[in-house]
Amino acid sequence: MSSKRLTRREFLRGATLTGVGLAAAACGGTATPVAPTTAPTAAASPIPTVAAKDKIRVGMSRPLSGSQAIVGDSAFRPIYETWVPMVNADGGVYVEEYGKKLPIELTIYDDKTDVGTMVRLTEKLILEDKVDFLWPACGTSFIFAQAPIANKYGYILITAEGGATTIKDALPSLPYTFVTLSFSDWYQIPVLADLLAAKGAKTAYIMYIADLHGIEYSGVAGIEFPKKGIDILGIKSVPPDIKDVSAVLNQAMDSKADVFCCFAYPDQIMPTVGTCMGVGYNPKAWIGGPGVNFGFFHTAFGPAVEGVTGFAGGSPKQSEALKAMYDKLYAGKPEDANDWWGHPFYWAGLECWKAAIEKAGTLNQEKIRDVLATEKFETVLGETWFSNGLLAKEAHMAEIGQWQNGVYEVVGPTDKATADFIYPKPAWPGA
Amino acid sequence: MRTHRTILKSLGGLVLLVLAMALLAGLPLYASAYTVILITSILMYIILAMSWAMFSGPTGYISLAPAAFFGVGIYTAAVLGLELPLPLVILLAGVGSFCLALLVGGLTLRLKGIYFVIFTIGLVELIKNLVLWYEVTFTGTRGRFVVPVDNNTVYHVMLTILVLLLLTAYLIRRSRFGLALQSIGEDEQAAAHVGVNVNPLKMIVFAVSAVFMGAAGAIMATRWSYVDPYIAFNPLFSFMAVLMAIFGGLGKFYGPMLGAVIIAYLEETLITRFPYYYMLIFGLVLVATILFLPGGLVGLAPKLRSWTARRERAHPGG
Amino acid sequence: MRGCLFAEWLSPVEEISTPLDSLHCDCYGREGAIVIVTILDVVIAGLLLGGLYALIAMGLSLQYGVARVLNVSHGEFIMLGGLITWTLTTQFGLNPLAALAVCGPLTFLLGYILHRTIFRRLASTAESVGVFEGNSMLASFGLMFIIQNLALVIWGPEIRGYSYLARPVNIGGALFGANRLLTLGFALVIGLIFYLYLARTRMGKAIRAAAQDRDAAALMGININYVLAICFALGAAMAGIAGMLISMSYPVNAVMGFEYTTIAIIVVVLGGLGSIPGSFIGGFLLGLVGSVVTYFQPGLALAAYYAIFILLLLIRPTGIMGR
Repeated sequence: MSSKRLTRREFLRGATLTGVGLAAAACGGTATPVAPTTAPTAAASPIPTVAAKDKIRVGMSRPLSGSQAIVGDSAFRPIYETWVPMVNADGGVYVEEYGKKLPIELTIYDDKTDVGTMVRLTEKLILEDKVDFLWPACGTSFIFAQAPIANKYGYILITAEGGATTIKDALPSLPYTFVTLSFSDWYQIPVLADLLAAKGAKTAYIMYIADLHGIEYSGVAGIEFPKKGIDILGIKSVPPDIKDVSAVLNQAMDSKADVFCCFAYPDQIMPTVGTCMGVGYNPKAWIGGPGVNFGFFHTAFGPAVEGVTGFAGGSPKQSEALKAMYDKLYAGKPEDANDWWGHPFYWAGLECWKAAIEKAGTLNQEKIRDVLATEKFETVLGETWFSNGLLAKEAHMAEIGQWQNGVYEVVGPTDKATADFIYPKPAWPGA
Repeated sequence: MRTHRTILKSLGGLVLLVLAMALLAGLPLYASAYTVILITSILMYIILAMSWAMFSGPTGYISLAPAAFFGVGIYTAAVLGLELPLPLVILLAGVGSFCLALLVGGLTLRLKGIYFVIFTIGLVELIKNLVLWYEVTFTGTRGRFVVPVDNNTVYHVMLTILVLLLLTAYLIRRSRFGLALQSIGEDEQAAAHVGVNVNPLKMIVFAVSAVFMGAAGAIMATRWSYVDPYIAFNPLFSFMAVLMAIFGGLGKFYGPMLGAVIIAYLEETLITRFPYYYMLIFGLVLVATILFLPGGLVGLAPKLRSWTARRERAHPGG
Repeated sequence: MRGCLFAEWLSPVEEISTPLDSLHCDCYGREGAIVIVTILDVVIAGLLLGGLYALIAMGLSLQYGVARVLNVSHGEFIMLGGLITWTLTTQFGLNPLAALAVCGPLTFLLGYILHRTIFRRLASTAESVGVFEGNSMLASFGLMFIIQNLALVIWGPEIRGYSYLARPVNIGGALFGANRLLTLGFALVIGLIFYLYLARTRMGKAIRAAAQDRDAAALMGININYVLAICFALGAAMAGIAGMLISMSYPVNAVMGFEYTTIAIIVVVLGGLGSIPGSFIGGFLLGLVGSVVTYFQPGLALAAYYAIFILLLLIRPTGIMGR
């Protein structure tokens, strides 16, 4: 790697080359063909006088690679890969303005699980590709970053994976953002606390991942549990790449708490379950965050998952609509692909999107946004609407789920449950 | 002896340079909004690649730390952005990276080169874990909102940082410090014997190179509006800086710049057209470059020339 | 207090199956017992972790110590071992231990091919050892992304897990997973086998010679290129086996490699660059440190490893057993 002595000529030549190169790139950028213009502002006339439109272009920046690829691929991706062809097979979304159904065309870019890239690609989709609609990026922190941008350009953003109490506070300033997924205080932990207290649980030990998700869940639990008479005997945070949780588990065992909570992700939940089995830790209730609700949890641990509790979105036993959705989604796929928490919410989000467009009769985002914010829609969850940008908790079909006989039953809230909450949890097999 | 021709050439080159700079500075006036964003991104990569090459090029000490310094800049903006004005934040980010680099350099540069490399490999992970732990334990947050800044402002700031970087790199390279750095790269012991203050020089140049990475990080953070330790400290930036500099070639001053522009453009194409394979392709590019084209792209021209010259000699007259 | 603790520790074998309540120490009663068991917990957990670290580090030490390649893609071989084991276990119903027969040779072969094609060429074109080390490190950096991307394409980004021997085993009143004890056992056995290999076989002697002085070894008639390739391949095989062992206790996925690489590198430096026994011991040491730190502040485990690294750099850069 030796270098010659730099001459002034070389420097000038090089710098100029680069400058010219950049300028050429700039001109090249502007030369990209622009898509035909979209809807006009006047919408009243029944005979469309607008430029012909033959499809609805939807753009997405997704983590097709990088650390969140796992989440994206199992959560929202199966939804849009199933829902969009289904809608298109039926002709598409009916837009009155054009007097016909328009099929959906997806443009998907890989943001490498890098926020900077996601932001840039979102702006590319909006400014350069001029897509009609934006579908969400993956992950709570990505939603936080994407929402202000979508809002700035007046693009609706119905989120999929992600959601947190802090975004709840930010929503009033983000009128174009609608959050679908349920989360800690909307409305899972309060229901969980009720469930546990009703069965006589008195104490809990919480282990949480050191990130926004973990902090939020442990924080909310810290408030809701004591309200229902459950004392928290210990709270320990673990880093996301923790290899050995046995120290924390031993402390939890020593505390003799009734309930053990693991507010983390699959990467931590799975080794924790394995270690629990290894050290023979059998609390009366074992609560886990995202990870417990996935099919791969069951396939990895088999009958050992009996009694493990997590968060849920809906069960095929609850309604024809939910059963039909699950059948379509999981047809021909291994159990690994199942997600019993998020999938109903994401699907419902897309159904609301379609219904709102059809009700508004136009592709104008401002009008559609107004419809989304004020009206009710019929989805897999039944009657669904958004209240202050959040999918109304009254529309939730489930909050808490539990593995029973290899099936992830809905156990809370009790008025929507498909099975009784098993407490205490049976001991790990082979102990 | 400088003839009229060479003076005219220098002058002509200077005029071209000024023209190019003017074109770039005025970009927001005539280019589309997304083009400005794209070029900003390319500028970021150029800054990372060039500042990496400023130290690692001549000395041969391979640093995998750019992501750490860039991340320090990002986090500075996240933490201080709400309270202090933007210019001050950028300055502090540069200073912060400078201090971190001095620390790293002080610890490792007085030992064999391999310790330096090893330390920088894990530095990003270490800082990420530390910041994360601190936030969880003491401030109870994870992630911060960054005050957004207008895209055109971001662009101009990045351009300014790049110009300053180029000037600094050029001046160092042309000065006796540049010569000293090269001598360190060729034979460190001999350089020490000749009187070069090896350790302080290495530390300072390393630290100076970190300043630009930190400053760039601070301004880029404003585009992302939400930042957490995982977002800020991403090892991918180290990889890209190294890839771009080596692919472009370290033999010429503008090599890393060239590499950055090409790779950045390639990345834009790959993530939109072949999203599943772009990391594979970049890895292959790096390995292939190291194996077959160790001088990078700028090393290609002399290679071609000597190859054709050899052919001519072997088969004179075609 | 110290005397009391050690007395309990060294007490006769019957203690092992005694329930927690009856363990006692004259000085501190029940609390003393808990402290003892806690210390035992932490130490054994540290050894379990350390066994894994030792195995990973030995592989990297071979690659760097002898072949002088700082293989940043070491963790990717671990990942491959883990994912291959997962596939064989869940898709073909094999016992994970049987997967050993596949993982080991496969990663060995991969390592061998990579060395012969990439690193040997680099060695022949490099002007000095320093340049070679730098270039080969960079090449392995590129390899890291290539292998990772290929794994992503083959297995997808999903987390893959299975449960094997997650049964508790009682040691001194504390319970440990059988799978993790098995991992430790394996690490020790492999370490022993390797030690014997180095000490007793011809190839082993050739490796030791090459590690000491490559040029002299070449002069003595050793086919140095072949030996280096074997070293690299052996290192890769150790990583593959480590991956198999990891998959028994933890879920695996395509992006898990880099954190193990970082740990392996720290252990290799801790043990002394170029010393294989050093990495073995260093692995256990680091595992113990990790276990102790995790007991108090889990978030600082990696920072603790780095703190040790920094301390070493300041006091004794050559590591525990380095030259």
